[in-house]
Amino acid sequence: MLVRIAWRNIWRNKTRSLVIITAVVVGLWGGIFADAFMQGMTEQQIFTTIHTETGHIQLNDSGFLLNHDIQLQVHNADSVVAALASIPGVQAVAASFQMSAMASTASSSAALLVNGITPKTAARVSDIASKLVQGDYFKSDRQNLVLIGQQLAEKLKVKLHARIVLTLQTTEGDIIYGAFRVEGIYKTHNSDFDKETVYVREKDLQNLIHFPGGAATVITVLLHRDKDTKGIADIAEQKFPSLQVQTWTELSPMLQLLSGTIRQMTVIFVAIILIALAFGIVNTMLMAVMERTREIGMLLSVGMKPSRVFGMILLETVFLSLTGAVIGVLISIATVYWFGKHGINLSIIAEGINALGYSSIVYPTLGAEFYGILALMVIFIAVIAGLFPARRAVRLKPAEAVRGE
Amino acid sequence: MSIIEVKALTKTYNETMVPVHALNGIDLAFQKGEFTAIVGPSGCGKTTLLNMIGGLDQPTSGKVMIDARDITVMPSGKLVDFRLHNIGFIFQSYNLIPVLTVKENVEFIMELQHTSRKDREERARYLLDEMGLRDKMNVRPKYLSGGQQQRVAVARALASKPIFVLADEPTANLDSKSADTLLEMMAELNRKEEMTFIFSTHDQRVMDKARRLVTLEDGKVISDQQTEKHYAQALH
Ligand SMILES: Nc1ncnc2c1ncn2[C@@H]1O[C@H](COP(=O)(O)OP(=O)(O)O)[C@@H](O)[C@H]1O
Ligand SMILES: [Mg+2]
Repeated sequence: MLVRIAWRNIWRNKTRSLVIITAVVVGLWGGIFADAFMQGMTEQQIFTTIHTETGHIQLNDSGFLLNHDIQLQVHNADSVVAALASIPGVQAVAASFQMSAMASTASSSAALLVNGITPKTAARVSDIASKLVQGDYFKSDRQNLVLIGQQLAEKLKVKLHARIVLTLQTTEGDIIYGAFRVEGIYKTHNSDFDKETVYVREKDLQNLIHFPGGAATVITVLLHRDKDTKGIADIAEQKFPSLQVQTWTELSPMLQLLSGTIRQMTVIFVAIILIALAFGIVNTMLMAVMERTREIGMLLSVGMKPSRVFGMILLETVFLSLTGAVIGVLISIATVYWFGKHGINLSIIAEGINALGYSSIVYPTLGAEFYGILALMVIFIAVIAGLFPARRAVRLKPAEAVRGE
Repeated sequence: MSIIEVKALTKTYNETMVPVHALNGIDLAFQKGEFTAIVGPSGCGKTTLLNMIGGLDQPTSGKVMIDARDITVMPSGKLVDFRLHNIGFIFQSYNLIPVLTVKENVEFIMELQHTSRKDREERARYLLDEMGLRDKMNVRPKYLSGGQQQRVAVARALASKPIFVLADEPTANLDSKSADTLLEMMAELNRKEEMTFIFSTHDQRVMDKARRLVTLEDGKVISDQQTEKHYAQALH
């Protein structure tokens, strides 16, 4: 019956309860949506990083990543690719010859990373082709074509179909120059990447620097599901003990850090909102206790234990908070779901967002575990908020509370 | 043996600038089945005395023995339980929980006593029937008249099967007709169930219904008499 009393008590002063419930609803909604937005941005960044730049897993000869020494090659790359492709959960595998180089034009030069790719195979692990803003993805059969990022094009002051000179080191240690024609200009969400990554055909690169056929420096693996990354990386490590196996979290440690930080921030953000709301809840409950001084005095007089009265007020506080929280969370889930499907277009302010490495359409999302943590936090904060009014209630002296005069 | 014994009871309120001597040495005993009115002018100490007997406040000195137990020395945690199981309370107002129905209000006190659901139901029905509220069981108190609400309070007070019932000015907010009805019903329960009632009043018509009349003045008992009319009735 305590539960029944506590629940019905909330609705005695409808206006006052609705005000605080509305505050909880709006506060949580705002907080949760902002969280989902941040989370969505991060996840999208992770997604594009994986699908455009790194893949889920990369394999190199041990030590290659230290300074891109092209002597450190993966031999028999084809058989490695085939073996990796047969692991369940692997979507696609591609080998490429990656090396550092200098690019120069009449007006400028830049250090960069050249990706010698087989365009068809590479397209299975990277969607760079879809990021082209000008030109084509190795459509022409001409030799020495290059895809460059928009940022680099601006830096080198080159336009589509212009020529740039790549300065490379051959496997014998000589310096060699190659003139490449800009076949396409791409733009990803990551301007640093755009500034220092170019794509050429592997065979054009081979003609210049003479690495053996079937050799590669990087093998990129794309998976069907992100969460298989660790497991498949372990399998790859067992199969190829001489190779260095790295996951996207190791290849982009910042991204991994960001994702972890955002997850913590979402919880902290909502916690702050809840604490602010707690003050409103305390106030509402104190008013309710004051108003019911005589009634509470009567209950204590007729023999209701103070601990029960305490529990009743606490329960009332929890019900009040939970009513708001449940409505707030339901609205949040609905809006997060809807915007998660349709996206929020930020193209108006996209320039700044892109520079930070974010994409211009954001799909808000939140994990189920977040709602679990949220539920615990709401109950916890409600109990804390209820302690003070409840203590007030049991401190009433029955004799004084019930005086008829 | 008396069920209640008040011995050399005094109460001084010290919270005010000038201490108020509300009770100045009260000696009283109550027997089972009595129907006693505590009367006297406003401020004479009626409420203070009833609060002491009911264990709602601590006296300055003296004893209140209920069933041979001194409740003035009981720790407060025990006292709550003692009140719940031994004393029925009827206040001038604010007797009922507004969010519960009439029947739930009566059942509530029995739930605090851990009475089984079936017994609660049965007793609540019986008592509300006795109080003429059979058709009001499932409505909330605010839909009842003041007199009806006080009758629910009487049912609630009896529901816990107390040793006695204390009522501080139960008719103060009622019109005279409702007050009459309430007192008739209390008197009826007193006869039928041998329930002991101690109530305070300054209403002459209510006093007339009492079988024993204790008059206070300045915190002292100035007269204590069995009333003629009811004395005869009681003998008969
Ligand atoms: N809490 C209190 N503090 C100080 N004085 C009080 C308090 N309660 C009652 N009194 C005083 O004690 C006296 C007796 O009061 P009370 O028992 O309420 O009388 P009655 O119920 O007969 O009107 C009065 O003078 C009243 O003012
Ligand atoms: Mg009084």
